[in-house]
This record gives sequence, C-alpha cells and structure tokens, in this order.
Amino acid sequence: MGDLIGLVWSGMVSGCLYAMGAIGIVLIYKSSNVVNFAHGNLAGLAAFLVFGFTGGIFANWAWGPAFLVTLAIIVAVMALSYFLIAPLVFKSDLTSTIATLGVGLIAQGVTQLIFGSNVVSLDLPLPAWKTQLGPIRVTAYDLAVLGVTASAIGLLYVLIERTRIGIAFRAVSANPFASRVCGLNLRRVHLFSWVVAGLLGLVASLLIVPTTFLSSTSVSSFMLQAFAAAVVGGFASLPGAVVGGIFIGVLMNLLSFYVAAEFNNTYLLATILLVLNAFPKGVLAVRGGARV
Amino acid sequence: MSSAAISLPTEAPARPATRRWTGGISALGVAALLVLPLVFSGYWTFTLGLCFANAIAIISVSFLVRYAGEVSIGHGVFVAAGAYTVALMEKYFGLSLLASLPIAAAVGAVLGIIFAFPSRNISGIYLAVATMALALALPEVLLHYSSISGGYEGLYVKLDAIPGVAKSMQRYYLPLGGLVVVVLLLRHFRRSRQAMALLLIRTSAHAAESFGVRRSWARLSAMALSAGIAGIAGALLSFSSSTVSPNSFTLWTSIFLLVGSVVSLYSLSIMGSIIGGLFLTLMPLLLAGAGDWVPILYGSALLAVVLGVNALPAKLRARLEGGQA
Repeated sequence: MGDLIGLVWSGMVSGCLYAMGAIGIVLIYKSSNVVNFAHGNLAGLAAFLVFGFTGGIFANWAWGPAFLVTLAIIVAVMALSYFLIAPLVFKSDLTSTIATLGVGLIAQGVTQLIFGSNVVSLDLPLPAWKTQLGPIRVTAYDLAVLGVTASAIGLLYVLIERTRIGIAFRAVSANPFASRVCGLNLRRVHLFSWVVAGLLGLVASLLIVPTTFLSSTSVSSFMLQAFAAAVVGGFASLPGAVVGGIFIGVLMNLLSFYVAAEFNNTYLLATILLVLNAFPKGVLAVRGGARV
Repeated sequence: MSSAAISLPTEAPARPATRRWTGGISALGVAALLVLPLVFSGYWTFTLGLCFANAIAIISVSFLVRYAGEVSIGHGVFVAAGAYTVALMEKYFGLSLLASLPIAAAVGAVLGIIFAFPSRNISGIYLAVATMALALALPEVLLHYSSISGGYEGLYVKLDAIPGVAKSMQRYYLPLGGLVVVVLLLRHFRRSRQAMALLLIRTSAHAAESFGVRRSWARLSAMALSAGIAGIAGALLSFSSSTVSPNSFTLWTSIFLLVGSVVSLYSLSIMGSIIGGLFLTLMPLLLAGAGDWVPILYGSALLAVVLGVNALPAKLRARLEGGQA
C-alpha cells in the first residue's frame, strides 16, 4: 500500500509535466487545427539551449539570465516555425500537420548538430531538501514541479479568461469563421498559441530533465506521453489535457512498477487505443449526437 | 482533416491524351529499368532493388493520403510486419518469398484494421497519434520477444524465391515486378466503385453518408488496403536486403516514408514513387559522412516540397495533389 501511494505521488508529479506538454499541443490544435508534431523536438532544443548557456558551450551564465535568453530565443523560434507553415494553415490541416514534422526534423537535426547526440545531464538550481510524509517522499524537485505547473496553469487560465487575446483565442477555437467575420486577426491568435505552447514546452522540458537525462531524442519521446495525455483528455480540451497528463503519469508509473519497465511506449499505445474506443472524444467530453 | 477539393473526373476531354502520354513514359521507364541490370551490376542493382521496395512502401503512405486524407506516422510498422512475416515464415515453415508474400500482405492489412478501428469515428489526428505510438512501441516489443524476433540482430531471409536465377537478379526483379503489379492494381482500383466511395467520403463526408457510404467503414478499408500494400513492401524489402532487424523500423523509418511520399507528391505512379524511393534510399548514402545533417535535409526537403506545391497556381496544384488520384 505504501508503494502504491508513493507511486501515485511521483506519477502525479511527472504527470504535471506531461500536462504542460499536452496543453501546448491542445492550444495549437484548438486555435489553428494543426497537430504540432514538432512540439517535442522544439522543447528539446529549448532544454539544450539552457544547458548550452549554463554549461559552458555558449556561456557560463547563471540560471536566471540563461533561462531568460532561452525564453527569448524560443519565442523567436516558435514564431519562426509558425510563419514557416503559416501559408498552409488555412489551406489544409493535413498538409500543415505534415509540415510540422518537417519543422521537427530540422529542430532535431539542429540540436544534434550543435550539441551532439551524447547524453548530458542538466541540474536544476534546487535545494537538496526533502521530507517524508507517511509513505510519500517529498523532495524540493516535486514541490518545484507542482508549484511551477500550478502557477503556469493559473497564469494561462487568467490569460485565456481575462485578457483580450484570451477572449480572441476562445472565439477562434469556437468558430474561426465567425471570428474572422467579426474582424479578429486569426494569425495573431495562432501566433499567441504557438508562443505560449513553446513557453510551456520549455518549462516542461527543463523540469523533466532531472528525472531522465537530456539527449537529442529524450524530450521528443517524452512528448509521446504528452500526445497520449491530449488523446485521453480529448484533443480539443484544455482541462482535459491536465486531467489526461496526470492520468498518464500515474498510470505509467504503476504499470512500469507492477508489470515491466521496458514497455513504456507499448503501454502508451495500449492506453491510446483503449481510450479511443471507450471515450472517442476524451474523458471529459459530454456524449451526444452531432447536428449535420 | 478534410481538405483539398478533389476534382473527380470532370476534365474528361483532356484526360485520355495525358493519360496515354504518361502511360507511354512509364512504359519506357520500366523498359529501361528492365535492361538496367545488364549494364550496371552489383551495388547498383542491390540499391535499386531496395529503392523499388521503398517505392511500394511510399505508395502505401500516398494511398492513405489520397484516398482517406489521413496521415500515418507509423507505416514503418506495417512494413515491418510484412518483413518479419517473410522472415518468420522462412524460419519456421521453410516457405520462400512467393509463398509468404500474400500472408505478409494479409498480416499488414489486419494490423491496419486493428489500429484504425478505435479511431474509426473520429477525426484523423487520432489515427496519426495512434500510429506514432505504434511506431515507438514496435522496437520495444521486438526486443522483448527476441527468441522469436531475433532481438537486435534480427533475422535473415536466405531462401531463393525463383530457383535457378542469380540471387542479385532476384533481388532486383522481384521488387520491380511487385512495384509494377501494385501500381497496375491501383490503377484498376481507381476505376472501381470502392475507390469512388472513398474519394466521395474524402470530399464530403455528409454527402457520402447520405448516399449510404459509411465513413467508419471507408476509413477502415482505406487503412486496410494501405497497410496491406505496406506489408507487401516489407516482404520485398526483407527479401532484397536479406535481413530484418528492429533497427530498420524505428519512428524515423515511418517519418522518412512520409517524407518520401511528400517528395513524390503522393504519386501513385511508378515514376513518382520511384522518385520518392530514390530520395529515401540514396540520400542517406550520399550523406553518409554528414550524419547530423540528415534530419535537417529531410526536414527542409519536406518543407520545401509542401510549401513549394502550395505556392503553385491552384489549377496545377489540384492536378498534382488529387486530380488523378
């Protein structure tokens, strides 16, 4: 029983990170109908940039400036990758989704080119504090993840519910045609969602690194879990992405402890297939017919 | 992911001439390929054999895009299913390629149905995500059941398919024959009721449903056909390269198949798919020294083709993308 509670706890912690990845995917999908398969590779590139700025490849900065500079770079990179595929976005969802794969390949190649394909380790500037709460072992890392996720999601909520661009985002995701007729600039909303998704990806990939190691492919395989989370929550639901992320985190932890550890991707595949069968529109969806 | 209006055969008057023209070019090209091994030998026939097998795999991806408007990032898995079927049939039953080829196609098709089934009623992104997970899961499974799959080292395919013919010739002509047969079958398929139903679903799901064509059924049959073709490609690929291993079927394989399909402009013709196949087979050889540049070049090629086609005038684009599905 102690095992179980501990596993659920650590699963929730990593689930928060999957949730942040999934929110990025869902944001982009909701606003522009594009499934961004480059998300993992771009987030991986972001984590490597922080590594480059703190670890002496570009510079030997402290964490603060390194993070801020990377933030700026990622905003630019996300904007660039959106503008690259922008000519396709209104023409064909399929073609623009394929184009994101191209962006992902380039991001992966650039990462390998600059940083090599070796595994590196990146430590977060966190105190080595920990405590035992019954069966749960809480570390500073866990609290940092929970805190950062909660504040990121809180900020995003305020952004979407209270600001003009957030209202525009909701309008566009509800009905792009009507919002365009009302004079909204769809490109601006798309750009907003790409940039926010990139920032969430950066934060998630930085926080996931201490648990795995950083390699040019590790973050993109982490993104499969984000995709699975998005599927579980229903691809177009932001709260669903959070629920799905935590569900995936806990489930993967339990399965790899009680069944076998080397089947991670197979579990994800099985989860995706089962969830699609049972809840085609995600676990939070209201079942109902469609009007034709 | 419905998109890109398909021009169903409305442009009938202009059609036969262009068709005869392209048909002639293809026949000439195939004739040239038939005599090629008499001129070149060894390395080039081997590489071209792989290229033809890859071309079939690319056709299977293009088929899915054309007839279902879906993208799969996991077709490497169906190719692997075909390849491993051939290798396992040889290992356990002593069957040669020609006997196991239909089985490989069937295995691919059944797998395709299994993975398309959960997403049969919902939009295509779910199929893309499910196939991506499939591609990532395959190496794990293969490595775990290594007593059957041969683990990292994989399995060998040694038996002759046609006794009495030099092995290098078999490895060249069988994939070429397979490619020609697949293309001819697809050309025949294009005129069938089934193809009409699939294209109608792609163009307007609501209209098609009111004609009694079920969307879920169309999705499943398109995926089954596509995965079956991929199974054939895998069978020929394992025969031509004489080995199968988990290394040759990663997520990258599947993504590169999609890149090849885009580079060939989703062509279902012999020449188009061979262009994609050549790109896929020769690029890594040409770039052998530039390992890390490979993803960048593939990604750029993909973007360049997709953006380039998009920049073309609408009329030309419609013909390239779907007019002659």
